[in-house]
Amino acid sequence: MAETILVVDDDLDILELLKMNLEPEGYKVRTASDGDSAVQSAGTDPPDLILLDVMMPHKDGFQVIEELKNIEETKNVPVILVTARGQTEDKVRGLDTGADDYITKPFDLREVTARVEAVLGRTRPIKYINPLMRAMGEGFSEEGLEQLAGHLQAAAAIQKKLLPEKAPNLDGFDIATLLQSSTSVSGDFYDFIPLSETQIGIVLGDVKGSGIPAALLMVMIRTALRLLCHEEDTPAAILKRINDLVARDTEADLFATMIYGILDTATSTFTYANGGHCYPLHWNNARSIDVLKTGSMLIGAFEEATFTTSTCLLEPNDVLVFYTDGITETAAGDAPVSDGNHSEPTNSEQDDMCQDAILTDTFYGGDRLAACLSKNAALSASALCEAIVNDLAHFSGSTQTHDDRALIVIKRDV
Amino acid sequence: MNFDTTIGKENISTLHIEGKILGNATDTFRKEMEMQLQTGHDKLVVDLTNVPLIDSSALGAIVTTLKSCQELGGKLVLLNPQKAVQEVLEVTHLSTVIEIYDTEESARDAFM
Repeated sequence: MAETILVVDDDLDILELLKMNLEPEGYKVRTASDGDSAVQSAGTDPPDLILLDVMMPHKDGFQVIEELKNIEETKNVPVILVTARGQTEDKVRGLDTGADDYITKPFDLREVTARVEAVLGRTRPIKYINPLMRAMGEGFSEEGLEQLAGHLQAAAAIQKKLLPEKAPNLDGFDIATLLQSSTSVSGDFYDFIPLSETQIGIVLGDVKGSGIPAALLMVMIRTALRLLCHEEDTPAAILKRINDLVARDTEADLFATMIYGILDTATSTFTYANGGHCYPLHWNNARSIDVLKTGSMLIGAFEEATFTTSTCLLEPNDVLVFYTDGITETAAGDAPVSDGNHSEPTNSEQDDMCQDAILTDTFYGGDRLAACLSKNAALSASALCEAIVNDLAHFSGSTQTHDDRALIVIKRDV
Repeated sequence: MNFDTTIGKENISTLHIEGKILGNATDTFRKEMEMQLQTGHDKLVVDLTNVPLIDSSALGAIVTTLKSCQELGGKLVLLNPQKAVQEVLEVTHLSTVIEIYDTEESARDAFM
């Protein structure tokens, strides 16, 4: 879902110009040509950001900001003021009133885009965290969750933006990732957290349950992990802290499975703990596959759970594959996908297909994934990701997925 | 999914389930277990002999019910999970906190 920007200006040409400039950047743009309609529009359906002209007849930009700050729905919406006057008093007054940034006319359109992106980048995490904090304060009550539903739906949409855009570049390692969501709210997630010159934290997880509570739990886990990975030394200690946090604050039927590990490029080791997640696969220098079976309890159901750390040495050309169960639980299709004009099955056909597959117990499974890895271990990390996706499509007869799928491939260079 | 609950000696309820516990079936499964608890049956045997697969929500329902049973002084045990279900229980380590039995007799004996 695109982020929405409300552009307010009494000059219709400027409205049109900004709209034409911002829409290609992927934003949804709404316009208002005076202060009253701006307040009304923002109050009815709060945008993600407001670009607000200061000099308008009847009600100027400062008055609009003051009104917006007094409305619950709009008080946290970031505002960038736009004015023809570059006077310092205006800037100070604007920022005092609660504007987040300032653009002076005549403006360079590239500057507008850059400032919009900067302000959104700054306020996105706040929008994300505030509802989380309030919900935690209310002990994850149903009421609290319902109130937060609106915020969280927005958060879920932003979730994708928070995922690392691409895998990090590390000396001596080639990393590729994949994330496919079956719905707008993905339960699967991954993250890369730089820890030092030679160490990077890597997490892959799957939040169970569905809808808003699951999205909330995912935000909570990701935020906690980002903070804790600098406080605790071992992956087991980090998972333990996250488990305690989640177990205390959520219902038992809301939980997650996840792997957290530290890839050390100096020692070529991966040191990890596994909270109930699918076992990673390690293609080793003996040209065979080790299933990394050091595992512990899933995260968030039992306060007394304990966790174990294990280390795996990565030789040149070794490959590590982390995945979520959306990959291995892909159901078999009726027929392999054809290369030609293949029509996608309807939803109901797919459901039938899926259910038949479940009855006959034909899933992609860990063994097929291991076979695909063995066959393609010589490829680059991203080509290997692609090979797995193609194999899944071939197996299921569809490029669509019923479940979220996430995949991380780490390959040590020669 | 179909199920049939029988209440035997010592007030032990056995849920015989047939079919996969996925999607809407998970709700039914959860409600049936809740119903047992509400009617005072906190000794539950969940017979998974004929269950080829369960989803994560069903797993969540089992965990919640297990905890409720324990709080009430009772217990929830699983009977004869099949390969795919057994694997999920092992990977998630739920097999370390839930008692699992091969036969109905041994499952019932667990409450003695």
